[in-house]
Amino acid sequence: MTPLVYVFEEQARDLLSQTGDVRLVDGVAYGFDDWTVFHAYTEKPYFTPSGFICPCVAIRSDAAGFVDEEKLMAEVRRRVDPDGRPIVVLVTGTGAGGSPSCRALILTENGIAGADTRFVPRRSELFTRNTGLLETSALAEKKVVIVGLGSGGSPIALELARAGIGHFTLIDFDRLELGNISRHVCGVNDLGRYKTLAVRDQLLQKNPFAEVSTMEVNVNQSLSQVEDAVAASDLLIVASDNDQSRFNLNQMSLNNNKVALYGRAITRAAGGDVLRVRPWKGPCYNCIFSSGLIDGREEEMSQKRQALAVLPAYVEEDKINTMIQVGLSSDIAPIANMMTKMALVELSRGIETGMSTVDEDLASDFYVWANRREEAYANWPRMGFKWTHPSILRWYGARVDRDPNCLVCGGHLEQEPTT
Amino acid sequence: MGWSSQQSARLHLEMDVLSRYFPTFFLKDSIIPGHAIIEGTLRSNAGNEYLVRLHVPADLPNSVPIIEIVSPVLRDRFGHSLVDLGTSYPMHLLKPENGVVRICHYSASHWSPNITFSKVLLKIRAWIEAYEGHLDSGYAIDHYLPHMEA
Ligand SMILES: [Zn+2]
Repeated sequence: MTPLVYVFEEQARDLLSQTGDVRLVDGVAYGFDDWTVFHAYTEKPYFTPSGFICPCVAIRSDAAGFVDEEKLMAEVRRRVDPDGRPIVVLVTGTGAGGSPSCRALILTENGIAGADTRFVPRRSELFTRNTGLLETSALAEKKVVIVGLGSGGSPIALELARAGIGHFTLIDFDRLELGNISRHVCGVNDLGRYKTLAVRDQLLQKNPFAEVSTMEVNVNQSLSQVEDAVAASDLLIVASDNDQSRFNLNQMSLNNNKVALYGRAITRAAGGDVLRVRPWKGPCYNCIFSSGLIDGREEEMSQKRQALAVLPAYVEEDKINTMIQVGLSSDIAPIANMMTKMALVELSRGIETGMSTVDEDLASDFYVWANRREEAYANWPRMGFKWTHPSILRWYGARVDRDPNCLVCGGHLEQEPTT
Repeated sequence: MGWSSQQSARLHLEMDVLSRYFPTFFLKDSIIPGHAIIEGTLRSNAGNEYLVRLHVPADLPNSVPIIEIVSPVLRDRFGHSLVDLGTSYPMHLLKPENGVVRICHYSASHWSPNITFSKVLLKIRAWIEAYEGHLDSGYAIDHYLPHMEA
């Protein structure tokens, strides 16, 4: 087959806009599948690339679009030692209508072969397929903060990037470990990396033009830094694994009047719940927690660090190990999916999108989901053929009001609490 | 960074409630989050006094405050210092720091911002009664105080 070379259009534009006598520019390319597909860069890629590295040299054709190929190839061979690998040569120029054009040649020991070249276009073209459902040009301006990039937070981040959200702040201080991989959007290639940075690469794979900042901090110990990020956002998504962080983030959401979404799975992901907090308009996280709808003891324990932070110090190691019981990725997926949809509803507010009727449906602030008739859902009837009784694999919205006695949003700090 | 305005208001509320129910407790080093402590005396039914120190968490009211019994030096019925017991399930003790006993009261999974210091001190009062019960009977403290399920 004719080799295929992908080039970032923006990089070609940058190269063409450089003034002065730019002859040869050293770039880098990554090859796949026996050097039949290449991703070529004239500048350093801004996310971690994959593939097998090989040299790339870019040249600007002259105003007439003329290049002496023989001479160029000799020059490239003198310049680069390919060490048995192919060299990708990009010849850029300005095409009809002033848009950039690019031709690629693959130089091997056997000689020169022409390649098909494709541009990875700018944002607007990347997301044109979404027009009609989501007004992506508007969503591209939206900024979300996601706390917790584990099995719950990472797929939400990815889905929002797919939907065209343009700005992310990812907060987590954990690194990817072997035990996380099966439930995480990142794989073996990312072992040992901060989840934030590994997920950032995944987001940029979906939307290379997204702006992704990361913070490798513990929310509970970096309160003001995290609050600054929340204050600068349009929406806060909380997929962390402990209540202390949720209490702290709840306070930040209220302080800055930012809508927050909280999701979690219960033991072995038998089910889970999602809470939407519209500050001062509905219940806050503490209102719901105090109502008994959320119980810290039921929270899924997916790793030892999480268990150690929550359990009393005298709980023995054996017991901690038995408490670490993880669910399947497919059991986390419904919760992450619900949070994604609720996030898109919130971010689409005031923008003409297909999400407005969903907004009408999501009247409740608190939703419950069961994957299996276990744990808290053990007494639920079987699904069978009825849809009039509670069943697994369906969402249920609960009516929960703001708690006037809530010590966080009750606004009655002068009053005496009941002891 | 100092306290946020919500935290200042909360600290005010806490001290207000304490002044009513535990009037010996006062706030020290209140300016710097993470350094503020509240100290006071709790008196058992038998009339013994215990100097109790509460460390106000920097993320007040979102995490469990550390509670220490500063004096007297606590010993069990058999004369062993409670500090030497280290973390103890039967005696409701957390790992001691700087030679001072730390009481296990609320666990992190049972904490909520709705819990006031006054409620915490009520639990410490109960611990003290259980401790004195232990001195009398030899039963461990968890004989008197049920544990919260982990
Ligand atoms: Zn509330």
